[in-house]
Amino acid sequence: MALTGRTALLAALGSLPVGILAPSWTGMLAVNAPLSLAILCDYALAAPVRTLQFTRSGDTTVRLGDGAEVQLTVTNASRRRLRAHLRDAWPPSSWLTGTEQAASRHRLDIPAGERRRLTTRLRPTRRGDRRSERITVRSYGPLGLAARQGSHKVPWTVRVLPPFTSRKHLPSRLARLRELDGRTSVLTRGEGTEFDSLRAYVPGDDTRSIDWRATARQSGVAVRTWRPERDRHILIVLDTGRTSAGRVGDVPRLDAAMDATLLLTALATRAGDRVDLLAYDRRIRAQVQGRAAGEVLSAMVTAMAPLEPELVETDARGLSAAALASAPRRSLIVLLTSLDAAPIEEGLLPVLPQLTQRHTVLVAAVADPHIEQMAEARGTVDAVYEAAAAAQAKAQRQRTAEQLQRHGVVVVDATPDHLAPALADAYLALKGAGRL
Amino acid sequence: MTAPTATSIAPPTSVSPTPRQVWTRTRGLVLALLLLIAAGIVLATAHSGAQHGRLDPRSADQHGSRAVAELLKDRGVSIRVATTLEEATTAVGPDTTLLVTAPDLLTPGQQRELRAATADSAGRTVLLAAGPPSVDTLAPGVRTTSTGPVAPRAPQCLLPAAHSAGNADTGGFRYTADGLETLACYPSGGLPTLLVVQEQASGDTALLGSADFLYNSRLDSQGNASLALQLLGSRPHLVWYLPSLADPSATGNSGDTDDSTGSEGADNDRSFADLIPSGWLWGTLQLAVAAVLAAIWRARRLGPLVTERLPVAIRASESTEGRARLYRKANARDRAASSLRSATRTRIAPLLGVSPRNAHSPEVLLPAVSARLSTIEGGLDTVLFGTAPADDAALVRLADQLDTLEREVRTS
Repeated sequence: MALTGRTALLAALGSLPVGILAPSWTGMLAVNAPLSLAILCDYALAAPVRTLQFTRSGDTTVRLGDGAEVQLTVTNASRRRLRAHLRDAWPPSSWLTGTEQAASRHRLDIPAGERRRLTTRLRPTRRGDRRSERITVRSYGPLGLAARQGSHKVPWTVRVLPPFTSRKHLPSRLARLRELDGRTSVLTRGEGTEFDSLRAYVPGDDTRSIDWRATARQSGVAVRTWRPERDRHILIVLDTGRTSAGRVGDVPRLDAAMDATLLLTALATRAGDRVDLLAYDRRIRAQVQGRAAGEVLSAMVTAMAPLEPELVETDARGLSAAALASAPRRSLIVLLTSLDAAPIEEGLLPVLPQLTQRHTVLVAAVADPHIEQMAEARGTVDAVYEAAAAAQAKAQRQRTAEQLQRHGVVVVDATPDHLAPALADAYLALKGAGRL
Repeated sequence: MTAPTATSIAPPTSVSPTPRQVWTRTRGLVLALLLLIAAGIVLATAHSGAQHGRLDPRSADQHGSRAVAELLKDRGVSIRVATTLEEATTAVGPDTTLLVTAPDLLTPGQQRELRAATADSAGRTVLLAAGPPSVDTLAPGVRTTSTGPVAPRAPQCLLPAAHSAGNADTGGFRYTADGLETLACYPSGGLPTLLVVQEQASGDTALLGSADFLYNSRLDSQGNASLALQLLGSRPHLVWYLPSLADPSATGNSGDTDDSTGSEGADNDRSFADLIPSGWLWGTLQLAVAAVLAAIWRARRLGPLVTERLPVAIRASESTEGRARLYRKANARDRAASSLRSATRTRIAPLLGVSPRNAHSPEVLLPAVSARLSTIEGGLDTVLFGTAPADDAALVRLADQLDTLEREVRTS
């Protein structure tokens, strides 16, 4: 049961006859009894809400920042015409702030036995799954005085994928990758390289790469060229523990790490490597394993979409065990975590030898641009103290990074904007050096 | 766009309760409510006999007084029931008996008014069970003492009515009167429970300690009926005053709302509400109804609020900011200066070709810097390896000097 503004207006207008013609209980009754009767009739004549039928269709995934459309088909199976307001409720972050009212409400006018399709346009502002809440229908009677109201639950989930803003860096990195392929053997010969072809010697080539047998067959001196080995295995490990929850700018560290993951995945897949994903804090949060090159990126995006930082300390021992279990052969393990001193020293360093024994380990961390700003603050006493604290924090970070490097770990420490390209560059450097 | 085919298979999606569910949920409550009402009715009927219609001449209950009223009517006495003070006082006269059934329930103002009306009327006033709250006003000069049990008692007096009635069920309040012309009957413990006070103008006031002898249930025992008929039937008219809450004189300052004071008192008492036309009042009432309807209209939400699991918002730089504030609070200039110097040394060492390991040793770094720069304000060793600044201004200056040094190393 719901009333309308029209009811209140009629009651207010009723004060004129009551006040002028019949100022008594009789007058009140003469005005309000017909009004009540009209309200009851209207309520009785409104199309029932319970018997409405709903089906949903439309988008199930959307990239953060894009809009999604979800269709809702409403069938009026009753014998009365449905005049109604409908609210298709979704969590608040499904819309930009302020547009929620307009986007979720619809007007309906469905004759008896017919159906109509509504479109709810979502514009999610946060990554993760958006589940539809209840649909509330307020069905008005023919006089528009009273309404029946009821709710239906028609589940639908729209998965909001990470935005992959670092996509713009992909073309330049792919160009660098092509340069690596078929490059001369001068500096790049190493474990992870394989024989590509022979070509004529030019001064400056490594004399060790001269193929004497081929030289003997030809008139000129031939050298072997090498190319980076393909079909290497890369395991990206996302640390979803408490350190990933810290906001850098306006997004958690985890989101910057995801962005870097996506760029690395796209790049490595093009380079012919296999990429797996593991998200871990105290248990496995997400895992992508053994996907074909064509589908690994979409599988990763889908797997990462609902990930949220958990406010628990990461179990480094379990993380290393899980990583070892998912990397049976020699791999590049990319660990996206933070460079805070305590978690690294107490958690990661003791278990690092297990990882570095067989695998190449790369630790990538999100640095905070705000600390960079603080380090440059000058002029006032407060600013200088801030600069001192920031310098100290950076020195600490540097020390932690050095500790890791002493174990043979490659460390990438960059602000969120630069993390993805920096990680891609580190990958290309490793690949170029044949260390995969 | 016509009837859908799959309607029968579609599972119900409605989350609103069906009428059956509403009934299932509320029937317990409804049942409890009905039980409560039924119990209330049963209790009310079971207990209503005790006090309902007490001393009412129309009540045939145990404690009613219809029997005596019928007897009086048979003897030609006209009975008029008064429930307001105004009715009672206008009816008094020389040929009238005024029976006040509950004088203690009258407000002091009402008592004064009643006394003023009865004192000179030359009629008879019968006060039943008048206690300390009323006896001083209604029968001046009479005092009341503690109550005694109601029991058959002998008249032991010269009052003709009592004398001919013989024993009667009396008791309750006991009265004493000094210096008045009185007849004291039915003594209990030496003090009378029936006292007849002779007034001026041939009227009299009879005080009875208890009203039990007028009850329907007691009228037929002892000489109760006789006593009642003689006390109440001595004059042709009987005004039976039953004080009630509906009496306007019971509320407010009833002493002034006499007929005579109506003209001037009413003007002062009329409130603002009396002065505006009734149409406005009723119109406003209807507007209030409209306001209630509008409130209901606006209060009904189109579906419940939707909650969202919000992610935690912790700024990653919070601990660094906290450390800065701690430094500030503790005036840790030494710490601040050393970390600033150390940061600068780490940054300039690679520019000067000094290995990071030697960046913090003055023997290696200082010669390397002085080889590039001639001199600097404050002295190289003081800026890079000096003591803690003495005050905040020196710390700010040191930060600027370190910046200058680094800039010059970079540009040289």
